[in-house]
Amino acid sequence: MIAREKLNQLKEKFGPAIQRADLPGEDRLFVFVEPSALKEVCRFVFRDLDGRYITGIGADDRPFSGQFMVAHTFAFDREHLLCGILVFVPPDPPRVESISDAVPAANWAEREFRDLVGIEPVGHAHPKRLVLPDGWPEGAHPLRKDVPWNAVPEGFDDEREFDFDEPPEGCVVVPFGPFHPTLDEPAHFRLYVEGETVRGCEYRGFMVHRGIEKLAESVLTYNEIPVMAERICGICGCVHNVAYAQAVESAVGLRAPPRAEFLRTLMLELERLHSHLLWVGLACHIVGFDTLFMQSFRIREPVMWIAEKITGNRKTYGLCVVGGVHRDLTPELGAELRQVLDRLEAEWRAVTAAVLKDRNIQKRTCGIGVADRKLVKEAALIGPMARAAGVDIDCRRDHPYAAYDRVDFEVITAEDGDVWSRIVVRANEVFESIKIMRQCLEKMEDGPIQLSIQDELPAGRLGMSSVEAPRGEAHHFVITGENNRPRRWRVRAPTYQNLQAVPAMIKDQQLADMTISLASIDPCFSCTDRLETVDLNSGTTKVWSAEELSRLARWRT
Amino acid sequence: MSLASKIKETWICLKAGRVTLPYPAQARPVPANFRGRPIFDAAKCIGCAGCANNCPAREILVFDVCQEIRILKYLGRRCTYCGRCAEVCPEKAITMSPEFETATNHIGDLQQRLDLFMSTCQRCGRCFKEPSVLEQLKLKGYRMDDLENERWVFRSRSYLENEPVVDDIRIELD
Repeated sequence: MIAREKLNQLKEKFGPAIQRADLPGEDRLFVFVEPSALKEVCRFVFRDLDGRYITGIGADDRPFSGQFMVAHTFAFDREHLLCGILVFVPPDPPRVESISDAVPAANWAEREFRDLVGIEPVGHAHPKRLVLPDGWPEGAHPLRKDVPWNAVPEGFDDEREFDFDEPPEGCVVVPFGPFHPTLDEPAHFRLYVEGETVRGCEYRGFMVHRGIEKLAESVLTYNEIPVMAERICGICGCVHNVAYAQAVESAVGLRAPPRAEFLRTLMLELERLHSHLLWVGLACHIVGFDTLFMQSFRIREPVMWIAEKITGNRKTYGLCVVGGVHRDLTPELGAELRQVLDRLEAEWRAVTAAVLKDRNIQKRTCGIGVADRKLVKEAALIGPMARAAGVDIDCRRDHPYAAYDRVDFEVITAEDGDVWSRIVVRANEVFESIKIMRQCLEKMEDGPIQLSIQDELPAGRLGMSSVEAPRGEAHHFVITGENNRPRRWRVRAPTYQNLQAVPAMIKDQQLADMTISLASIDPCFSCTDRLETVDLNSGTTKVWSAEELSRLARWRT
Repeated sequence: MSLASKIKETWICLKAGRVTLPYPAQARPVPANFRGRPIFDAAKCIGCAGCANNCPAREILVFDVCQEIRILKYLGRRCTYCGRCAEVCPEKAITMSPEFETATNHIGDLQQRLDLFMSTCQRCGRCFKEPSVLEQLKLKGYRMDDLENERWVFRSRSYLENEPVVDDIRIELD
């Protein structure tokens, strides 16, 4: 059993530093280690055992154990194992050894728990604010249990501005975002530019951090969270919905009925179809090829309509609850879905036949935004980013969930790691998704779609779940708790890891390639609350207020 | 060859023709089980407050004026049209309507208020048993949401505890 084998390797190497281990199943391992050994254990897992870093979680466990908790999770993809390295950290003040010089991918995760839980990563090279808004005072940590969900800390200053780093000498700062036509979310990049060449950048994001995790831990209940989890992302909502439900199920040892698993698989793949078609369209739009942008969106539309027919909405399917799903697929809709897939496959085949040989796109994207194998390992890149660099990882196959162990499909990879490879990977993944959906429709048996849960869920259990979102692996980590809600629920969206590689990807590139490089990781669209129009004739400016804008938006025909 | 690609691409566009729908002049009809704005039917509602207890956005408030009269208010501000209320309603008193163009300058256009005459025992809270333990009523008996400020009150005074309800609101029982 692979989990036991890994545990023995760790015990052999570190002996008494391994305090306790939980093996809830063949594919999950939780190891509790001495705080002093954390860095070495993580280094060993990351370097010697070649684990892939997933994320770091900080939790306030004071009401239960009197201590704080930090967990770093790793995946062994070929061995189908998810592994958590956990430490308890004494409070006043909580400090933990930073692992980010051994595991560079842990950079953001450590900065995040420094902000939100207030656990200081000692030895972190750049312990700067990451998540909290500019106006938050130092020392206020919203994810601590003694902070109410709606607290505004004393000393909150709306006017305070972010303290940006100094640009390197000889460089000019070009701001990119927070509102930029090609950015999918309000994120701000300060690009350091020398002539036309980008030499580096500083990232400031998390502008739409909504505190969903805090809400889940303090207000919502187990079966309300899936609806909220779905709103984490406008494109891959169903992924978070399923990942949350699976994480809770894995923590308490439940398994959804087979039909529910097939339905989850089906909807996840439907979501991947629309997401990939959307992305290919947007990528083409960014490189100035609007024909394919239009066609790709046209081909995508029937996917949205069938989703609307099945679930009642184009997006936000509202599919999962803990222990199953609550929307079934009627045979008529199944037949209609098959027709949609057939038409989609034929149309997409025609598009790929044309586009994958189009020199114009190749010239614009080949050798741009390269993330090679080394960067994939160091920054723990996932999804199409990793696969385009020849790293053959896919959660659907490596950490099978829902009904992916009962369907056949290929994992598409490419070699070059540039934007073009990512286009090829995503375009071809569409066919694999169609294949999976057809198999689901065939193999799905009648039966219940929800478990009847008889008892309250036990508290204090750990659960994690990885789901392959269109952008890569979405990871959810749950500690179950009292009062019908989890104690801690940590969501790591795929873009979280992929975005960390952007500075390395755009370094020494032309400024004009910035947009497509960034868009190639498929980050998640922003909306503005204020805009400015200029009257060209008179030269006067008019600034629209939020109220005027909303009136304009509501005015119809 | 790139030229072949261009010809193929042209063909794809020509074949597709014009696909744009004349929206908003003419709205596309929505499918049968579309989840639009929820509509509450006062004639069917038994006032069990199952919808209020399961609303993830806390958009349904319940206030017991006295033993016999319960007010149920739907606020329609943050409602995400998730359809949980319609799903848990034992009397099918809530329907997810086909309405999706609900932008307005007056929130009152979306709000619904039901004044319900109650004859079941509110103290035992047993008029509605939800399907799963995860969903069973967190709140029993009296519900005293803050209708004036349109806020959901996190802990009801069903057990008649002496502690205040939420931070700054104190709801007095007769």
